[in-house]
Amino acid sequence: MASYFDEHNCEPLGENERPNEQLLLARLLVDSGIANALNLSFEDLSSQNLSPPISKIWLKEEFPKYCFSESDKCGHKCPICLIAFEEEGQTRAVKIPNCGHIFHCDCILKWFEKTSSCPLCRFELPTDDPSYEEFKRQKKREKIRQQEIEDLHNSMFS
Amino acid sequence: MASIASARIKREFREVVTSDELTRCKIKLELLNDNFTELKGEIGGPPDTAYEGGTFQLEIKIPETYPFNPPKVRFLTKIWHPNISSVTGAICLDILKDQWAAAMTLRTVLLSLQALLATPEPDDPQDAVVANQYKSNNKIFLKTARHWTNVYAGSTSAAEPEFDSQVKKLVDMGFDSHKSRVALSSHLWNVEQAIESLYD
Repeated sequence: MASYFDEHNCEPLGENERPNEQLLLARLLVDSGIANALNLSFEDLSSQNLSPPISKIWLKEEFPKYCFSESDKCGHKCPICLIAFEEEGQTRAVKIPNCGHIFHCDCILKWFEKTSSCPLCRFELPTDDPSYEEFKRQKKREKIRQQEIEDLHNSMFS
Repeated sequence: MASIASARIKREFREVVTSDELTRCKIKLELLNDNFTELKGEIGGPPDTAYEGGTFQLEIKIPETYPFNPPKVRFLTKIWHPNISSVTGAICLDILKDQWAAAMTLRTVLLSLQALLATPEPDDPQDAVVANQYKSNNKIFLKTARHWTNVYAGSTSAAEPEFDSQVKKLVDMGFDSHKSRVALSSHLWNVEQAIESLYD
């Protein structure tokens, strides 16, 4: 028999760890439809606007895979320092997965200390903050649910 | 100051002063010191708004951690706008706070501020009195904003002469002209209520 935690797709709390009450309350309000009735979205109920710093594990394991030596004399500038890639001394560049925006490694690493999103398009990379990751999952869930409702409605008329 | 901040401002400054696009949009930038930490910005009021014809001065301070943190910007020119304090010139705009991104520049900030003048966000106000007036009495809001543009930002269009004479009434009673204008603007140009608030 699957354990309670497997069945609910969650993990037991560690020692000294407390449940994230705000997140649970937000989810309860959204799932029960009360939030809808009050015209509140999940974003309104969550206090987190800016994504937290980037995941250290991701930086160690994934980040180097996207780094390369910029030798392309295309005249592109790093959007953070505004210095052209081919200018001397600053040649290590990184291409962010998914959005493909290119920055100097040193520049983007400094930005990632603050937040995990791309400075150009806000595409979000993983963070080490469990409640923020949960918030992201919840947003995704909400989107999928909305799509499903829409599909259901559409299927009735086709 | 960290070299990345001043090096970047230097590059941005060159870009802004040589851009035709920004001259067309009536956007200017001026250096106030040699280490690129303080600048003065200037934006023209957008056409077809209450700010049309006005020129608005901005104080821009560059933090050491720029461009990883936003520049500190405030209006030096007095302005009647829901998202700008009529007292201090402080601005409520998300990109100057938590929505800042390192790829933004002084150019994008100045253009965003010009856009803010054209489309106020009364639900995220900096000045509650102005925001309230914007929502509940938009006609008077527009006239007041136009009047302030005329008096403080040097526009020459429709001056709302009846507002001038009301301010003069209070000045003749011995009140400061700016304080009188604030009191009248905050009380829908009702002279009695404005006087009462000045005595409080």
